[in-house]
Amino acid sequence: MKRYDVLVVGAGPAGLSAAVEAARLGLRVAVYDENARPGGQLFKQIHKFFGSREHKAKIRGNKIGEELLQEAAAAGVEVMLNAAVIGVFAEKEVAVRVNEQILCRQADALIIATGASENMVNFPGWTLPGVLGAGAAQTMMNLHGVKPGERILLLGSGNVGLVVSYQLLQAGCAVVAVVDALPRIGGYGVHAAKIARCGVPFYTSHTIVRAEGVNQVTGAVIGELDKDRKIIPGSEKHLAVDTICLAVGLSPLSLLCALAGCAMEDNPAKSGYVPLVNRYGETSVAGIFAAGDVSGIEEASAAMIEGRIAGLAAAQRLGFLTQEDLDARVAVQERALASLRQGMFAPGSRGQTFTATTEGCPLSQNLLRQGYLTDTELSAYPGVVWAEGLHPIIECTQNIPCNPCRDACPKQCITVGATAGQITALPIFDAQKGCTGCGLCVAACSGQAIFLVDEEAGEITLPYEFLPLPQKGEQGLALGRSGQEICAAEVVDVKTAKVFDQTNLLTIRVPVQYARQARFFRRAP
Amino acid sequence: MMLERGDIGGYIPAPDDDLLVCRCEEISQGEIRRAIHDGLFTLTELRRFLRTGMGLCQGQTCGRLVKAIVAKELGVSPAELEPITARSPVRPVEMRVLARNQEQKNG
Ligand SMILES: Cc1cc2nc3c(=O)[nH]c(=O)nc-3n(C[C@H](O)[C@H](O)[C@H](O)COP(=O)(O)OP(=O)(O)OC[C@H]3O[C@@H](n4cnc5c(N)ncnc54)[C@H](O)[C@@H]3O)c2cc1C
Ligand code: SF4
Ligand code: SF4
Repeated sequence: MKRYDVLVVGAGPAGLSAAVEAARLGLRVAVYDENARPGGQLFKQIHKFFGSREHKAKIRGNKIGEELLQEAAAAGVEVMLNAAVIGVFAEKEVAVRVNEQILCRQADALIIATGASENMVNFPGWTLPGVLGAGAAQTMMNLHGVKPGERILLLGSGNVGLVVSYQLLQAGCAVVAVVDALPRIGGYGVHAAKIARCGVPFYTSHTIVRAEGVNQVTGAVIGELDKDRKIIPGSEKHLAVDTICLAVGLSPLSLLCALAGCAMEDNPAKSGYVPLVNRYGETSVAGIFAAGDVSGIEEASAAMIEGRIAGLAAAQRLGFLTQEDLDARVAVQERALASLRQGMFAPGSRGQTFTATTEGCPLSQNLLRQGYLTDTELSAYPGVVWAEGLHPIIECTQNIPCNPCRDACPKQCITVGATAGQITALPIFDAQKGCTGCGLCVAACSGQAIFLVDEEAGEITLPYEFLPLPQKGEQGLALGRSGQEICAAEVVDVKTAKVFDQTNLLTIRVPVQYARQARFFRRAP
Repeated sequence: MMLERGDIGGYIPAPDDDLLVCRCEEISQGEIRRAIHDGLFTLTELRRFLRTGMGLCQGQTCGRLVKAIVAKELGVSPAELEPITARSPVRPVEMRVLARNQEQKNG
């Protein structure tokens, strides 16, 4: 039987990170993944990530995946694809299905990083073709270049629902509605704002009543929910859609852990049935670790850190690292993890309601319900300073773990938090630092929340990621934050640069009185 | 939790009982509810009796849905229910592959 020092199940961000750490310390490491391509969820994530530089913020998910694969190859990790691990037995023996064969492998340490599966909801018509998971829609669009449909209803307004809605718009689909049963949008305000200004309406406190159609989805009915989560009679609304995308959460794929005999718990804070792990990610079975979404649904940035910790700890268990060395390295990783796990969206904040940011700024209720800030709410935030001349307006108003805007500015005009670890603080713009209007912050912002505004000239520079790119001189319409048409607009500049990493900077001119409102450009049909 | 058959009252049809829950094995909400009221209180028993979650996706689609129905009928929270027994293979494997593997082992 083939043996390894460390066998990792799952080649997502957690598994690859674990493998890289262990292999760099000289261990013989293999990663097995049932997919035909490595990277787990990362390869579908074509958007720029949050976090800070150490979490690979500002880099698009698919790029992070490529970087991890290169690191794994350089470290000598064996990555085996189309290899589904179907069983874990005593003595860390695993059975792997590869093509027509079942192979048995053994390792001294086992790291389970199998990620998560998408949750489903059932409603009349849910088995019709045209109802699919958001992750499946993402795979179709971003990996295979296939549009999942033309007119989409998206159920679920967490970050997954918001990100997938945006990518559907990029693919050329119409997102007819984003519906959520909760009274507020679950994901980041900046993600919501970026689709709201394209004209996507949010229906919070709503749910789907039924999908219509005989052979495929031809429509959907949604309804408003009362306090007891019952549909309010008469609130039903018909939507003409051909596709219903479900983004209603993920569940840890933890069956292998249970099979390995790890102590498990059903923990709603971790989104389901997960193995109990210690600070190193080690389960109750010595030498078996769990890292990433499998031990609690979080994000790729957290999954990578958990992976690194598990990889290091496995190395220590096998005698490749001293306990002191391990603890020193883990402490660094834990700091990186702690900086991510702050603020209103942190795992520990689930179920709580927030009315103000940690700075004491009121949270926009409109952003939470409708996905956009109103003109009057805007001035309450430290990134919004109405200065003379060209300067950024930073419409980032919730405590999210993110700071690429700070790192992007060559003039240090933007600060996020008093210390480097405080990445959930609101960005602050300092008009005294001599902003040159270079636009690097606009392109770097993962939330596309920064606009360069010149009020006197009526010019707004906005991040733009749709194709085909508008041309200089083109006439169109300026849309406000809510997506409503507000005035005519002319494209006066289009900037594309390698450092912008495919976020183009579009400068539009509008009548000066609209400079504070115009936030998106719609091309003339 | 030691419930006996009948403790939760008899099965009363609900308007949405014909809603499909387990797609792979084509099992409706009504079939699951009826089985629960017939005394099958655990997810494992339901799997054996109705084959919910035993199809191609191995419960990845309906696992949570079935759990929610059982919890609701028993009046407990889903987290309180005893989880299903994990068994290998965790992915569907054709018999011919398993058989070949056995041949190799023996030969
Ligand atoms: C739409 C969307 C947007 C997201 N956006 C962000 C974002 O902006 N920032 C961020 O940080 N995170 C984001 N995430 C979350 C992030 O993608 C996940 O948290 C992360 O991928 C989890 O990593 P993982 O390694 O634990 O699992 P995964 O990436 O899910 O990888 C698990 C791997 O294990 C394999 N596997 C599972 N079972 C087996 C088995 N039995 N045998 C062999 N292989 C197996 C799978 O094939 C898969 O490749 C997003 C997620 C989604 C769905
Ligand atoms: S436009 Fe350039 S100089 Fe001005 S704040 Fe942004 S990055 Fe800094
Ligand atoms: S403004 Fe800064 S902190 Fe806010 S989303 Fe953009 S990059 Fe992140």
